Amino acid sequence: MNVNETALSKYNPLSRVLCFDRFDSTTHGWTELLGNYDGRGDLDTVDDHMRDFRPPQLSSCTFFDVGTHGTLSGNYALKLATRPYPGHTATGIRRLTMAGRGRVRIETHFAFKAEATVGHEAPASVPWDGNRHPSESQFGAFTVATDICSDGGLRYHNVIRYQNTNLDGEMTNRWMYPVVPEPTPRDHQEGKFALPYAADFTAPDPDDWRTFGEPLEMCVNEVPTKINWHYLRWDIDTSTRSNVELQLNDRVMDMRDVPVPPYPDRYGTLDNLLNFYFSVRTHCGVRNFLFLDSVLISVDW
Amino acid sequence: MRHDMRSTTTAVLERNTVVREDFATEPYELPWAAEARFFVQALDLDGPLDFRTEISPDGLHWCPLDDVEHRIDAPGLITWAVSGFGQWLRVRCAVGPGTTGKLRIYLVGKG
Repeated sequence: MNVNETALSKYNPLSRVLCFDRFDSTTHGWTELLGNYDGRGDLDTVDDHMRDFRPPQLSSCTFFDVGTHGTLSGNYALKLATRPYPGHTATGIRRLTMAGRGRVRIETHFAFKAEATVGHEAPASVPWDGNRHPSESQFGAFTVATDICSDGGLRYHNVIRYQNTNLDGEMTNRWMYPVVPEPTPRDHQEGKFALPYAADFTAPDPDDWRTFGEPLEMCVNEVPTKINWHYLRWDIDTSTRSNVELQLNDRVMDMRDVPVPPYPDRYGTLDNLLNFYFSVRTHCGVRNFLFLDSVLISVDW
Repeated sequence: MRHDMRSTTTAVLERNTVVREDFATEPYELPWAAEARFFVQALDLDGPLDFRTEISPDGLHWCPLDDVEHRIDAPGLITWAVSGFGQWLRVRCAVGPGTTGKLRIYLVGKG
């Protein structure tokens, strides 16, 4: 066995692998999310909160203090980077369809960081040191989510979010899920929403989020340029349109009781939609980064 | 197995962005790319915009790549090639007094 054949050994896929994306080659179909627009290609008709999710980039995880860090298994990670604007979100989305129904598993090894601040000071809610660094509280949240439509146009999103800080910049370290479906451009057209730039596109009202599990302290590792790779495994079931289980490193959480709210109305032209996205959101004026070493999506059908 | 087909990627750094004052695009990493190219598309424009390529070793600190300015002063598309860069790229734009423009800015990398 050579080292390339061991690439799968850091994952635990279900019986059929749909995609195994190693970012030492390309971005592998993970692309920027953009809202819908009119038939003239007029991008001014994209909703304000869905027009600037930033393009993913391949990063060697290079920093001002130590140079190139590299990734878990190679040179390049897929990097999502926000603007330094409170509330701004960066996304990477992968668009598939379903050839069956059943268990779906997404796995990744990821790292997250706020951008280093050098030569000036950015607002932070934790002091330095005692193993803490202000940048620890300058990271907002990252989200792993789906966009699924099946069974006659029934559309729903399984969503998990790790909220590192709340919107006031205070450490929370909580897993969360929304109790409402994501606002869509159709909702906007129908006058249900008109969200401003940098609104939380997954669920804009903070009151529509609930926590699950106990607070979870990740490995932040002291300064903004020491990145450590975390393992994440998330199982959902498209036959029951439900959550199943979330694993973060050595902690496994049963998610069967975490609800997945569907849209009340049916959606056309989305039959068998199976999208996944990662996003990262800053809660302050500091760029936030999510690095993905690789991503594996597998199913049991 | 070695794959000899070249890699390429296109990032849309600005999308219908209205500009009225000087700005720089967000840092973008192209560590794998041997060459790159900016495209600036002015959708609307009523005065001159001058662009310079900037590079960075860390995404935090920036300097010009060269002494070349790229001017656009009417709606349309301009482009210029970039080579010999560090892994971060951005473009800085000087906006003439009273000028308003609406821009799309693309960065293409090829390795």
